[in-house]
Amino acid sequence: MRNGEIRIRDAGVSYRLYREKVSTLKEAVVNRFRHLRSAEIFWALRHVSLSIEPGEAIALVGHNGSGKSTLLKTIAGVLQPDEGEVVTQGRISPMIELGAGFDPELSGRDNVFLNGALLGFSRKQMEAKFDRIVAFAELGDFMDMPIKNYSSGMYARLGFAIAQDVEPDILIVDEVLAVGDERFQEKCKARIGDFRAAGVTFCYVSHSLEAAKELCPRAAVLHHGRLAFDGPIEPAWARYRELERGPAPGPQIETG
Amino acid sequence: MSELAETASAPARAPPARRTGLAELIHYRQLIALLVVRELKVRYKRSIFGLLWTMLNPLLLMVVYTVVFATIMKAPQRNFAIFLLSGLLPWLFFSISVLQGLNSILANQELIRKVRVPQAVFPLSVVGSNLVNFTLSLVPLVLLMAVLRQPFTPALLFLPVGILILTVFTSGVTLLFATFTVFFRDVRHLAEVALQMLMYLSPVFYDLQMLGQRDAWWFHAFRFLLKVNPLWYLLDLIRSPVYYGRLPSLQTTGIACAAALAALALGYFVFQRLSPRHIHYL
Repeated sequence: MRNGEIRIRDAGVSYRLYREKVSTLKEAVVNRFRHLRSAEIFWALRHVSLSIEPGEAIALVGHNGSGKSTLLKTIAGVLQPDEGEVVTQGRISPMIELGAGFDPELSGRDNVFLNGALLGFSRKQMEAKFDRIVAFAELGDFMDMPIKNYSSGMYARLGFAIAQDVEPDILIVDEVLAVGDERFQEKCKARIGDFRAAGVTFCYVSHSLEAAKELCPRAAVLHHGRLAFDGPIEPAWARYRELERGPAPGPQIETG
Repeated sequence: MSELAETASAPARAPPARRTGLAELIHYRQLIALLVVRELKVRYKRSIFGLLWTMLNPLLLMVVYTVVFATIMKAPQRNFAIFLLSGLLPWLFFSISVLQGLNSILANQELIRKVRVPQAVFPLSVVGSNLVNFTLSLVPLVLLMAVLRQPFTPALLFLPVGILILTVFTSGVTLLFATFTVFFRDVRHLAEVALQMLMYLSPVFYDLQMLGQRDAWWFHAFRFLLKVNPLWYLLDLIRSPVYYGRLPSLQTTGIACAAALAALALGYFVFQRLSPRHIHYL
């Protein structure tokens, strides 16, 4: 496989839905572990196959609960597929949630190193990046302050500043661009443009056609965990609109 | 990833193939170190004595226990304070690690939901921060030994080995409890009670010599329980050099090593096996 490649073959992610949630031993014993048998399996994602080439930009669209986030998390490696396989090659920068893993008690500086380590970087590597990150976040004097005192915009700026400096092969963005003030949003978009120009594979979740069209020529439409369409963005969006208008059937539950 | 050769011949750019299992955990060792630092920093924030508390704490505990056992209950050992601390400090290291560690997956669930990270780093970093505390608490112990004229013998050089073996054991048990707690929240309460009982079955407040000999079935049953408790051997790795001034016996060391490796192997494999499902139960 080449760096930046994503191969998804017949992937499925299931959740067990318990009629009564059993999370204590007593309940389990009283029910004689019946819950394990009566659990219903809900496939948040099933039979999804996608091939994304290095340098390609794809938008993932679908209504709430369609499985977009599940697919994104599976690509990011946060979730393991229960069926099929999801294989990626190269470093992934998951901008699923900016600043995930920040500790509010620690200073901005400490959080940069902690976040870097969470992404798999050594202290040395982060030291080399540190000044660039501070410059990008425009936080200067605030770096030694505990981040619980940051405004939410500052928080997101620091998060994006770290995520943009990880030299990714695959960039995953989950509508995080709706943070910070307009100027910072422009800066983030420009940075993503740089990545695109540098040939980074790009997965983008959006509810806005305008934003998606600007960045991605291709789109995959998810509907109730299935892949409903995969192709150029204009017809994909038409399909998404069509599905949205249709009667929304409840989530498909298979008893197992 | 089957095309390993292709990856190897690719330009020498940092990001390699996605690591899994032990290799991934080793790659993230610096994260464990940072989590340990975070834990210590947050714990001692806004406290005037800061890390000093770690050293003060066992001393204060010791004062209480020594008064109770040496004065009121008239314990026979000379330098009872040293006897007690040499068992109590490693015991506290073990039990606090397990109790804090079993919560660590739940405590970091926000992160686990959003970032791909080998989850074992969380329980292991709890063990790490408690290891720092344990090591620091040896400082007042050494001071006390000097004050009470407890002899310093070359056997003390064995301590790092003993601490290492105890840490391996503690890591294994903590991993095991951490993953179970995700599926059944009452493991926490169960563990609290179990650790209480285990403390009295471990050589913390007494040891075999103090028990003496009695010819009654219940006494033999009790002694049997003590002998199958791995902590009986593990805690002796610390007490022997500190209090008795001699190396632990070869048999004790062997059993302790075996117990430690078995606990780590079991804890690690169960944890790795179950951790992909954690996210569904958080």
